[in-house]
Formats: sequence, C-alpha cells, structure tokens
Amino acid sequence: MISTARRHLSVYGALFGMIPKLFMAYQIWFWVGLVLNVISMAILVFFWRAIYADTATISGLGQNQTITYILLAFIFMPLTSNDLVWEFGGNLREGLMIHHLLRPINFQGMNYAQMLGGLVMNLVLNVPMVFVAILAFGLRLPTDPLTWLAFIVSAMLGFTVMFFFNWFLACFTFYTTEIWGLGVLIQGMTIFLSGALVPLVMMPEWMRTVVLSVPFAQALAVPVGLLAGITPLTNAPRIWLVQILWIIGLWIASTLFFRVAVRKITVQGG
Amino acid sequence: MSVIEVKQLTKVFKIPKKEPGFGGAVRGLFRPQYENKTAVNQINFRLDAGEIVGYIGVNGAGKSTTIKMLTGVLMPTDGSIKVLGRDPHKQRVDNARDIGVVFGQRTQLWWDLALIESLNLIAKMYDVHPVKYRLMLDQFSRTLELDQLLKTPVRNMSLGQKMRSELAAALIHEPKVVYLDEPTIGLDLLVKERIRDFIKAECISKGMTVILTTHDLGDIEELCQRVIIIDNGRIIYDGPIDTIKKRFGKFREITFETVEQIKTLDVPEGAELLSTDDHKVQVRFDRTLSSASKVAGAVMNQIEVRDFSLSEPELSDIVKQIYNGALDVEAR
Repeated sequence: MISTARRHLSVYGALFGMIPKLFMAYQIWFWVGLVLNVISMAILVFFWRAIYADTATISGLGQNQTITYILLAFIFMPLTSNDLVWEFGGNLREGLMIHHLLRPINFQGMNYAQMLGGLVMNLVLNVPMVFVAILAFGLRLPTDPLTWLAFIVSAMLGFTVMFFFNWFLACFTFYTTEIWGLGVLIQGMTIFLSGALVPLVMMPEWMRTVVLSVPFAQALAVPVGLLAGITPLTNAPRIWLVQILWIIGLWIASTLFFRVAVRKITVQGG
Repeated sequence: MSVIEVKQLTKVFKIPKKEPGFGGAVRGLFRPQYENKTAVNQINFRLDAGEIVGYIGVNGAGKSTTIKMLTGVLMPTDGSIKVLGRDPHKQRVDNARDIGVVFGQRTQLWWDLALIESLNLIAKMYDVHPVKYRLMLDQFSRTLELDQLLKTPVRNMSLGQKMRSELAAALIHEPKVVYLDEPTIGLDLLVKERIRDFIKAECISKGMTVILTTHDLGDIEELCQRVIIIDNGRIIYDGPIDTIKKRFGKFREITFETVEQIKTLDVPEGAELLSTDDHKVQVRFDRTLSSASKVAGAVMNQIEVRDFSLSEPELSDIVKQIYNGALDVEAR
C-alpha cells in the first residue's frame, strides 16, 4: 500500500517536473512574457485609477481594494489556465494520443500532474510581477496566515474545478478534431467569466448569477476575493464546500464523457 | 497457451462523405453523409509465446489498424482480442504495462527533452527497478550506441538515431509482447541492419512475442519464421516464411537500359524475358538455376547495355501473385 503510494508519488512527481523542463527549452519566452505582462498590468491599473477619479467607492469597494484585487487576480491568473484543449487537439492531430493512452498509468492523473507542474511553473515565473506590483503600483500583500491558508485551499480547489471543466470541453476535440475555435472561445470566456477584469461584487445581480453558474470564477475571483479581503474569511468553509461540489460534479461528467469520446479515436494513417 | 488470440476481428470506420462544391459543403453541415470503410474484416490468428511474426501488406491493407486494436487504443467494431488473457481495450492500463510499442512514423519521446529525460520518466511509469534500469541503460548504450545520444534533444536527432532511441524507450521495461509498426521505414541499409540485429538479439533472448509490420521483405526474412499477409482487411496468407521465400524469394529481376531498341533476346536457362519496352529490357531469373552474372553476361554479349539494375520482388507483386493462385498448391 505504502509502496504503491510512493510509486505513484514518484511517477506523478516526475510528470509534474516535466513541464518546467519543456518550457526551459525555449527561454526567450520568459523575457517576452515578462515585458508583455508589465505592459498589461500597467494598462489595467491606469484604467481603474481613471474610473476612481470621480468617486471614492464603487459597490462598496475603495480604489485601493479594487486595485489590490485586480493586481492579485493578474498575478494568480495561471490558476484558470490549463491547456487541455490544445493538448488533446494537438495530440489527436499528430497521432500522439495513442502513445499517451498506452502508458500504464491513469491518463487523467498523468495530465493533472502535468497541469499542476505548469501551474507552479507559471506562478514562479510570475514572481517578478509581484515585485513590479509592489514597487510600481503599491500592492500590499496580506500578512495574516489564515488569509493565506484560506486562499491556498480555495485556489487549489478552484484550479481542480477548472481542470475537470477543461477536461470535459477537451473531449469535444475527439469529435471535431478542430481545436482553434474551441480553444480561443475558452480563452476569451475565461478572461471575462473568471473575474480577472472586474470584481464580482461590481457586476449587476443578473450578471453575477450567470458568472457563478459556470465554473470559471471558482478558480480566480473566488480565491482572490478571499486574499484581497473582499470576501470575509468566515465565508471560507462555505466557499470550499461549493468548490468541492463543483469538483465532484465535473469529475463525474468529464470522466463519463471521456470514456465515450475516447472510442471515437480514429488515428490517422493506415 | 497462446499469448495473442484474435477471433473474427473487424473494424469498420465511419467516414464522413464530402460532397463536392459549396452546396455539398452546406448540405454536409445539416445532413452529414457517412460511408463505411471496412479496414479489418473478420480476421483470426493466434500467436504463441516467443513467436516473431511478420504482419505484412501493402499501404492501407489494415496493418496499423490491427496493431492499434491489439494495443487497446482502438475499439474493435466486432470480434474479440485476448492479449495475455486480457481484453486490451477494456483493460487498457493493465495491458499497457506488459507491452512495448514502436510506431515507425511517430515518436513516443518528448520532442524537446534530452533522450535521458524521456527514458527516466518512462522507466518510472513502467515501474522499472532503479538497479535494473541502470543495467538496461548500460546494455542499450552499447547495443544501440546511445552513449552520445542520451543528452541530445530528440528534435535534433536524425531518423536513424530517433529510431534507435524509440526502440530503447519501447523495450526498457522488458515487455512480454512487442508491436513494431514499420520500425525500419525510411532508414538506410546500415541502420536497418543494426536495428534488425538489435531486435533479433533483444527479443529472441528474452522470449518476447513480437508482431512486426513492414513493407520491407528484408526485415521479415531476417527476423520472422512466420508471416501473415493481409490485403483489403483480410488475411490472404498465414504460414511459414519458407513457403514465401521458396516461391518468391528465389527470383530476381534485372532491368537493362539498352542503346538500341530491342525486340528479341536469348536468355540462359532459368531466366525469362519479362518485357521489352523502348530502351528497357526486363529479365527475371531463378537464383537456384542461374546467377546474376550469367544472365547479365549473356545479355551483354548480344546487345550494348548502357546501365542495369538488380531488384528483389516487390511486396505488391507477391500479393498480386497470391491472388492469382500462386500459393494454392503449396499452402493448402
């Protein structure tokens, strides 16, 4: 039992470590990404400062609180992104899916380990952005360990919600083999519906209902709300519970869909 | 007990029918038409432990489809497969532990990583004991000359280097069953030779059961005692390689390019004139009755020859001849 667990840990640990190694094959992207991120962050901050020029609070949020939320959401954006649709689509197109399916380990577990590796790498790569945010835009990070605890638990749950949600969507690529449209659609929806651009409390009631009825916000607006101090900490247990329910539902749906979709595999070539 | 047992295996692909023109494209959007293509049609065979079987056929005959169903990634439309007593599609993960696969046209290695990184990860996934892994790595470094390659990213490798790496990746966990799908495709003679030697040494010494698909009759002759020939999804021959070799392997063809147009030609015994065409003359001879030098000498005595080339019979010719009843007497 323990040896099996250790073996699993070792395999998934290795898969987890694969992503940074792959990324490092193309180091130039680190510098390009950094410059682009600084520019985008500056645009967001100036935009919100302009909005707050004539008013002290919007929906009960002051300028500092909103900008703290926006900066944190920017820094933790990698929580929402996982590239399963591109991954599946690319693998199917190039006929590599068969090799992945022929590994003697759980295919979903293998992908989760790799996406988690990608998340950690992207967050580490975002560390310079934290310094930019603190030095240039006056970001003040919370110091209360309980806030961080509530955030980290919620962030990991939210990331997992998005993993299963994207897994579900990625299964469509077995049918379409076309991925560009689906991939871009998901990217666009993620930016708007995750709450990266506007705090949820500022949305009109109906819009908030729509946003909370799809899973995107679970990975960003919900955990970052805790970290930015917009959501009171006492709400944390209820938030975790909701996220766990999302995970269970999407896990069942995505696993069932995959089981059916994988039968569609028609690997190109005689 | 047989290691692989295939019964009435069938795979039908549903392919969307594309109608020509814009109107057709729009119609296809609302009412897609499908056409059924039977890639594999009710085939049966059994393999015993340690057998190395050549599975051959022309392009599109159904070879790869069969292999993919045997590995478990493709679901059969009908019929059954047992590999080591398991249903490979239903028990895909368990089955994967005991098999090794090389698809000659695709790579299972991580493109951007050094080979050693890929091998480390694969060894972990297949639960190869670290001591055993070191041993295997040492051994492969020698037999496949991987020493220089271990630190090279796969994307920087030549085709031959890639194939050697693929073989290492497929066999590092010492699988009981190995599927090699065109492992020598596109390789030069020297590399082919080395890969055949490796497969022979590795698979035979460890008693692996191997299915090898290829277009290259050389591969088959070197490695297999038994061949299964498939055409249009059906098995048209399943038996010892010797029968094929005896019937087809003894013939060679010489093509002469001549200075003048030739209508008739005398050829020595054991040879026959296949065709004379413009400035080209084709002669087939039986190696057991004549030789290349005899035939070429006889022809060159009669006419001026600009160039000539010697070739083995093509697989497609063999298939054609089997259809024409070439094996009816011998095989049955």
